[in-house]
Amino acid sequence: MAETIIETNGLTRSYGDICALKPLDLQVPEGEWLSVMGHSGSGKSTLMNLVGGLDRPSDGSLRVGGEDLLALSEDGLARFRREFVGIIFQQHHLIPYLTAVENVMMAQYFHSVPDEAEARTALERVGLGHRLKNRPGELSGGEQQRVCIARAIINSPKLLLGDEPTGNLDNKSTIMVMELLKELRAEERFTVIMVTHNQEVAAWGDRTIYLDDGVLVREERMNS
Amino acid sequence: MVALKLIPHLLSWAGILLVLLRGYSERRSVVMKTSITGFTGGVAGAIILFRTFPETIPFGSIKTALAVSFFLLWVFSVAAVYSSTARRVPISRRGRFVNTSLCAGAVAFLAGMVAGAICTCRFPATASNTLTFIVLVLAAGALAYALVFCVRIIERLLPPSFTVSPSGMLIAVVAFLLFSSSSILRLDLFSPLSMKVMKGIHDFVHQFMESILIPDHLFVRSVVWKYIGILFSKGVGFWGGMVIWFTPAFLIVLAVNFERLPSVAHIRQGAQRRKLLAAAIKARRHRLVIPLLSVVILAAAAYQSSFPSTEYWDPKPIPISANQSGEIIIPKKGEVNLEDGKLHKYLFKQGDREARFFIMVTPEGQLTVDLDACAICKPDGYGQAEGSVICYYCKTLIPLETVGKPGGCNPVPVVFSVKGDNVAINGMTLINTWGSTVQATTRVKEGGK
Repeated sequence: MAETIIETNGLTRSYGDICALKPLDLQVPEGEWLSVMGHSGSGKSTLMNLVGGLDRPSDGSLRVGGEDLLALSEDGLARFRREFVGIIFQQHHLIPYLTAVENVMMAQYFHSVPDEAEARTALERVGLGHRLKNRPGELSGGEQQRVCIARAIINSPKLLLGDEPTGNLDNKSTIMVMELLKELRAEERFTVIMVTHNQEVAAWGDRTIYLDDGVLVREERMNS
Repeated sequence: MVALKLIPHLLSWAGILLVLLRGYSERRSVVMKTSITGFTGGVAGAIILFRTFPETIPFGSIKTALAVSFFLLWVFSVAAVYSSTARRVPISRRGRFVNTSLCAGAVAFLAGMVAGAICTCRFPATASNTLTFIVLVLAAGALAYALVFCVRIIERLLPPSFTVSPSGMLIAVVAFLLFSSSSILRLDLFSPLSMKVMKGIHDFVHQFMESILIPDHLFVRSVVWKYIGILFSKGVGFWGGMVIWFTPAFLIVLAVNFERLPSVAHIRQGAQRRKLLAAAIKARRHRLVIPLLSVVILAAAAYQSSFPSTEYWDPKPIPISANQSGEIIIPKKGEVNLEDGKLHKYLFKQGDREARFFIMVTPEGQLTVDLDACAICKPDGYGQAEGSVICYYCKTLIPLETVGKPGGCNPVPVVFSVKGDNVAINGMTLINTWGSTVQATTRVKEGGK
């Protein structure tokens, strides 16, 4: 029985009068691939921001990897994000004037110290060994997303968060990215939480939860 | 007000304690106990020295201790640079010894002892009887205990990653001690060091260049000496002193900066490996703080030495003339009381020649008349402070007990006689003494040593 890596009790996030996430109880076992689905404004990204330590809840409890995120200071949260979480965004958020390898090294720099050899290896693992010195503008959408994956996994996170990572990609690139993530997950054994609109992308996970207006309405376990 | 003078000295000792407590974080108890014992012992020892011997011996002993510590710092800094940059350094026992309780205790005890002795030098004439002695020593013990307690609280507030290397500890201890001593004229090391440099250059030029290298030709000599004269300037002594003063600190900064990082090649996971490396780099960066701070403290000590806050007794020379028989007659208790223990300056003119001199009574009660100049320096004159007179040119301190004796940078004694309640000096002798000794040293531009 895997240990629980994420545990929420009555987790709530409000922005003034608007309650983006209503009291949510959720457990995610270590190593699980959890897909989060729902309409726009259903609270998917809010949940992911809370779990990733990018935002603080308004109420409830939230433990990730044994750490009570509500009790952490700003510095503590920064350390948590640095050492525990890798994030892949839909918009890539790569630095346009840095090369692919430099973008990966940037993540190393904020974690500890840069190591170019290791960054090269990470890019080779995602199939971009031939694109090391290219800037993001010279890469396709799928390639950019693979740089993001290399950047997200370079610090060996225990938790990988994807906020619609395939939202901007065509089918072929989507499948390539998802296969890559599956492969890396098998090797690195990190937990994945993937926010998506796409039912096919969600199907890559072990379990899918559905949010609607900030409430968990349905849960579905996938066949392996 | 008197106690306020102790504050810089106590702060310096607090700085030493802070560094030692952090440097010997596993031996805090030993450091605290030996520091208190050392400080109290230093105060007691210095009081006993001041009571037993003339002031020159206690001051000299403490100054020697400071000089030895500075010399040790030099040796240690060179060794530190060598061991951090050498490719292969055999595993020495030194590294292990530095971390023992014995070493921690010895360093804390000696540093405390010198710090306590320096504090006592602020008030060398205290503790005239046994009861006062006991009270003073007990007060010093209580003060030391309170200070150690406060410093321990402050030390707890420092982040755990803030560590101090052994060489960092040594430079901090020596820098704080030198800072503390530089405000006491008779313990100051920096000015004498600058003078030693200047004298060394002077001796080198005279004994080596003049006798061997410079051709003995009128034109060549005058041209060459124009440039060699630069070496005799005070600036050369000052900057030479600065080099000697700061080099150990910079060597230790280099040594810490080049410290080898731990081997992490055996760690498979990249992130873990980089994290350990980053922690080691961060710790090394923190270890640079103390040596860099020591550079600032040494600079403050040099500044304090160059621009002392001590106010010298330096009266304006009173113009005086000789009577018809050529004698200068000055009453012992006229407008000026010559027996008040202060130096009193006079200016005697005869035609276009003049001579400056002073009269004073030494602590032994000896009346003495001396030129306001020595035989070797540019005649900038003397001031009086803290049981000594100081040569304004070379900053050499002359204990009052030795004023009236010839040699070195002592004021040149003048023959005089006491006639009843007056001091009588032959004007011609005075002018000739000035002319034959002092003026000879001002022939070369900048003159001096």
